[in-house]
Amino acid sequence: MAQELFYEDVNVGDDMPELTKGPLQKLQHVMYAGASGDFNPLHTDDDFARAVGMKDGVIAHGMLIMGFAGQAITGWVPKKYLKKFGVRFSGMTKPGSTISITGKVMDKRVENGENIIFCEVVARDENEDVKITGHFEASLPSRD
Amino acid sequence: MADLSKVGTEYSPIIWEVERGKIKELTKAIGDPNPVYLDKEAAIAEGYKDSPAPPTFLTVPMLWSDKMPAIINDLKINFMMVLHGEEEYEYYRQIYPGDIITGTPKVTSIEEKESKSGSKMDMVTLEVLYKNQRGEDVAKSRSLIIERK
Repeated sequence: MAQELFYEDVNVGDDMPELTKGPLQKLQHVMYAGASGDFNPLHTDDDFARAVGMKDGVIAHGMLIMGFAGQAITGWVPKKYLKKFGVRFSGMTKPGSTISITGKVMDKRVENGENIIFCEVVARDENEDVKITGHFEASLPSRD
Repeated sequence: MADLSKVGTEYSPIIWEVERGKIKELTKAIGDPNPVYLDKEAAIAEGYKDSPAPPTFLTVPMLWSDKMPAIINDLKINFMMVLHGEEEYEYYRQIYPGDIITGTPKVTSIEEKESKSGSKMDMVTLEVLYKNQRGEDVAKSRSLIIERK
């Protein structure tokens, strides 16, 4: 069993364990298209992508990058404790990119008897270009 | 541009049976090795009833049900000019294999905004409340769809 994460052990300013993904391959775009049902050819067909203005061809699904963030978050905070998770898509991701997901605890407080941690999450590529910024909240068990 | 009269419109529900294989497929496409999503026994050992759906799973019923393109058409948005601006989920209960979830999409706001460079955009917020076969709320998704003009 994975190690339990208790409210008392998480402090404001703590970093979430960093997750590195990639380098991204076009094959992963195809897998994600099939899994998610997003068949916009912008993600899988270089000719189409160039025709709509992407000079280097296809870009990754934004939701794939959000999926990476979900992997990082629920690798740290079990899915069953996650209450809220949201992102803003701020940059396009090209094949070959390596994506790093980092997160930080911004606040913690007891609300309606629940021990809530409030965290931010950011995905960046190897050039420090931000791909998504987001936030998540989780209700953690107490040692008491 | 987006049809401003559509604010408040509720669409016919997405009805979706959650398959174990689809949970695995999405998890593998993301490349997430977390055993709770891939192995029922590992999930049970972590206190779940079965393998839960991963955090971004609700994109699957939305897109595989063809609901998103239908809504974009109804809003008279030019599909070629669409950007996905934001995505947010609130989780109330786990979603498990075998669950039949019903999501009711609703347009909660349409706003016209001007970017710093002066180009105009319509910002459409779509919320979907998902319930399971027992009528319990399981999650809510909120998507910000941007139409460049």
